[in-house]
Amino acid sequence: MAIIKAKKTPDRSAPASETSVLGWLQKNLFSSAFNTALTLFTLYIIYLTISGVYVWGLADATFVAENRRECYDNSLTGACWAGVIDWLDNIFYGRYPREEIWRINFGGLLLALWMAPLWISRVKGKVLVGATVVVFYPFLAGYLFAGGDKGFFMQFMISGAIVAFAINMANTITGLTKNLGLNAFLIQSLGQTKATDKTQRNILLLLAAFAFGAAYLWQMSWSFEGVTWTKWGGLFLTLVISGIGIASALPGGIILALGRRSKLPIVRVLSTGFIEVFRSVPLITVLFMATTMFPLFMPEGFVLNKLVQVIIAVILFNACYMAETVRAGLQAIPKGQFEGAHTIGLGYWGTMGLIIMPQALKHMIPNIVGSFIGLLKDTTLVSIIGLFDILGMLRSISKDVPWLGLHKEPLVFGAVLFFLLCFSMSKYSRHLEVKLSAGRKH
Amino acid sequence: MSKEAKPKAEIRVRPKEEFNFFQDQRVRSALYQLLTAGIVGWLAWYLISNTAHNLEVRGMNTGFGFWNVSAGFDADFKLVDYTPGIGTYGDILWIGALNTLLISFLAIVLSTILGFFVGVLRLSSNWLVAKVALAFVEVFRNVPLLIQIVFWYIGVFSLLPVVKKSLDLSLGAERVVLNNRGLYMSTPIPGDLFWMTLATLLAAVIGALIFRHRAHKVQDKSGKQIKTLLPSIAAIILLPLIVFLATGMPLEWDVPVLTGFNYVGGTSLPPAFLALLVSLSIYHAAHIAESVRAGILSVKKGQSEAALSIGLKPGRVMSMVVIPQAMPAIVPPLISNWMNTVKNSSLAVAIGYSDIVSLFMQTSLNQAGYAVEMVGMTMAFYMFISLTISFFLNIYNKRVQLVER
Amino acid sequence: MSDTQTKGQLASAISTEVMIEINQMNKWYGAFHVLKDINLTVHKGERIVICGPSGSGKSTLIRCINALEEHQEGEIIVDGILLGKNLKNLDHIRTEVGMVFQNFNLFPHLTILENLTMGPIWVRKKNKADAIETAMTYLERVKIPEQADKYPGQLSGGQQQRVAIARSLCMNPKIMLFDEPTSALDPEMIKEVLDVMVDLADTGMTMIVVTHEMGFAKTIADEVIFMDEGDIVERNNPDAFFGNPEHERTQKFLSQIL
Repeated sequence: MAIIKAKKTPDRSAPASETSVLGWLQKNLFSSAFNTALTLFTLYIIYLTISGVYVWGLADATFVAENRRECYDNSLTGACWAGVIDWLDNIFYGRYPREEIWRINFGGLLLALWMAPLWISRVKGKVLVGATVVVFYPFLAGYLFAGGDKGFFMQFMISGAIVAFAINMANTITGLTKNLGLNAFLIQSLGQTKATDKTQRNILLLLAAFAFGAAYLWQMSWSFEGVTWTKWGGLFLTLVISGIGIASALPGGIILALGRRSKLPIVRVLSTGFIEVFRSVPLITVLFMATTMFPLFMPEGFVLNKLVQVIIAVILFNACYMAETVRAGLQAIPKGQFEGAHTIGLGYWGTMGLIIMPQALKHMIPNIVGSFIGLLKDTTLVSIIGLFDILGMLRSISKDVPWLGLHKEPLVFGAVLFFLLCFSMSKYSRHLEVKLSAGRKH
Repeated sequence: MSKEAKPKAEIRVRPKEEFNFFQDQRVRSALYQLLTAGIVGWLAWYLISNTAHNLEVRGMNTGFGFWNVSAGFDADFKLVDYTPGIGTYGDILWIGALNTLLISFLAIVLSTILGFFVGVLRLSSNWLVAKVALAFVEVFRNVPLLIQIVFWYIGVFSLLPVVKKSLDLSLGAERVVLNNRGLYMSTPIPGDLFWMTLATLLAAVIGALIFRHRAHKVQDKSGKQIKTLLPSIAAIILLPLIVFLATGMPLEWDVPVLTGFNYVGGTSLPPAFLALLVSLSIYHAAHIAESVRAGILSVKKGQSEAALSIGLKPGRVMSMVVIPQAMPAIVPPLISNWMNTVKNSSLAVAIGYSDIVSLFMQTSLNQAGYAVEMVGMTMAFYMFISLTISFFLNIYNKRVQLVER
Repeated sequence: MSDTQTKGQLASAISTEVMIEINQMNKWYGAFHVLKDINLTVHKGERIVICGPSGSGKSTLIRCINALEEHQEGEIIVDGILLGKNLKNLDHIRTEVGMVFQNFNLFPHLTILENLTMGPIWVRKKNKADAIETAMTYLERVKIPEQADKYPGQLSGGQQQRVAIARSLCMNPKIMLFDEPTSALDPEMIKEVLDVMVDLADTGMTMIVVTHEMGFAKTIADEVIFMDEGDIVERNNPDAFFGNPEHERTQKFLSQIL
């Protein structure tokens, strides 16, 4: 009664019910009479929906036409995509002068290149990369998009942006090819590895100063034609508002969250009050408030254009929601971290800046991406107060003479566009969540 | 023999803390707070003084006197009586608030029912059904709400027939009519004896509750289980129905009748209302479905296994073990979703439904110009609703806390 | 290690009545063959301990017995009923077979008493007074009657597991299955749970226990089974099993845990 199986039983392949498609179908879709009926009914509904959409959107649709009448002549029941295609430039860029659109595309490409190193594992100093994007890119992009005269401050920041971008790219290259940070690489190639830290630092600063000077001289010769903000529109405007919104809401949210957690009563009360006010009212009321009351807040003669009003409103509104996200992130940090920092003598700001925030921010990234997606969708509200973001543009198509009354097709296009954007971003954010919680380092 | 003298106990002096003004914690905390209060206070004073000055310069009105000023315009849709030219801005505020509450309430009810339904479908063992529910949730969550609202509004407008060719939803009886001017429903006018039907209904509900209570007592005593659900439903439906028929059906209807170019009579709901209601309900149902699903999944699998292992049937496993534990996870996001529904109803301003933002903030603002007061009051309205809902949410959360060490 | 060894081997009272019969049972998780050609017969009053490395399929095996998992090939007959797709049979099996989980799985939103009376009231259709009486009897058996009105969150791990055992016993099952009942407990609480299980064995309950507690196995088991990679590799009475393991896989396993 001792040994039962002297040799290990070889694995057998699973029966059909477990592995084959047929078996899977049977288990999941047709396991009972009720289930079978349900499956068939659902298949029928899916068939109706998809065939309806296919017929309207593709089979019977008109893609090329001069106006709506032509669409109707071609096909009465199909979609008239020609109108959307005609307005494609407007939908994406607003009324931006067509010859200058390359500036927008270039700005986008610049941003992509600038942020690319964040995904490459061998590059050092990712935090600095992120910081330079938030600090410098807006100025460079602002000048690219708006053009016109640049004051001294603007020129200073633009030069800084150029230098930062160049350093970033060089750093990426040295990281990829030699697995070194840029500073280490420069020190090495100048043969100063044995020099003291202070000397090394001075050398790098000197190089940076030269680069800055060169950049300043170079950008002085730049001259872009001014494009007023009233011409900005479409997806471009949506991205500008959302991008600035999320980038500025983050520092604001951090400050508010810290304020809310503060032990000082006045600070806590003010922060909590501010956050609760903006979180309990709809965004549209904040936008209305901005457009009607901001002009009253400003001293006489000081005029804020509507775009700036809206951006400020969006930043205020989002900072409060971001504050809640940050608060949750901070609460997730175990108390032991605070205690550990305390025992090595770090004060409040040291603890926050060096220990707590870096950990909290890493875990908050999926939530921040989620907030960005939400902001992207909320930006459509500015179309109500007369800014021509992408929804504003889409609705204008039906007021354009050749396409009078074309309502459905632009909205469907907008819906599909947003769906693709938001769905892929939220999938990515879920992927990030999994990756971050696995505890892997970049 | 002399005792050894004990050394005199040393008097220990308590070390005194040196008072360094700027290092002192209390001083620092007071300074920081003074600084913050000072900055905020200065900012507030700056903004207020600018505002006062600007209002004066532009000759704009201030003060709450506008309550009793008659508003020169009318609202499309109102639940109360109002005569343009006589009704005041105060009345307008009241109308707008009621309209907001009406559509929010209806949207909350519809979206919650639909949301729970879709949420349960998401967890179905039928792969196809689960995936279709997933598609529903993903599509309606990722498309901006405003696009959905406008789309339904355009869809309602362009698809609905003209007045002369109205859709009869009451299957030939012409009691409920749908056209591109709105939904027209017959309003019931109860007759003299109608109160008996209502009384029977009330009695039936109370009777069902008593029946249920007694059935529980019987189960406690003898273990016997009496089915109470079906008999209760039958009683609640049938008994009032019998009384209604017996008293001669005392119910008149104010039927909408086609007079000239329009339907007159009955209650009507404008297309903007319908579009807003449908889009809000679907959008929020998608979010609620996710909360429901997450809540049910948050109950560990071991709970249902343990319940099955003591012989409970799957239906009871759900109702007695899983759902009670899922609710504390579902309710908070559910309630915050309801709050969002109320806030999102403000998008009525995009399609012209007379909610508080559209009526009070936008229209009134353009007419009377009491900018600060109107904006302030509208925001105060939403803050009040939000505070009320949070208050009840906190009570609920305290009640369902699991008792732990 | 627990010192239930000092109690000495309990007299076993195995009858000839067959409680569980498993013939050529095979189970797959998707494409993975997790249980291979399992043959097992359990008589009334028998106490069986199953051990083996993780992934060997021992938990899966006992979960198949009370139909928490499905098997694709072979037959499982419990208390004379063939396990299949008949829902009524499955419900009946679940009332006659009790299970104790590694993570206790007490219902946190109910009191201890409510946890215990739920089965008797709603499944066995007892009246409240009888159910409470039974519950208190078993609570006293597991030596924690004073916890009746507390919530699971207020009890220690050892106490919760004893409540879980009492909860299953309140249904008067014919067979008790234990899935690593002490693996989630702090060391000082393991003994109190094992003592309860020894008492239970004393009353003649048919038990199948998946565990690493070998001292316990030596005390009460009539038979020890070693499983590895889905096979039942070796089985024997405890003395022979621990004293003279025959198969090399058994030897390797025992050398690692003893």
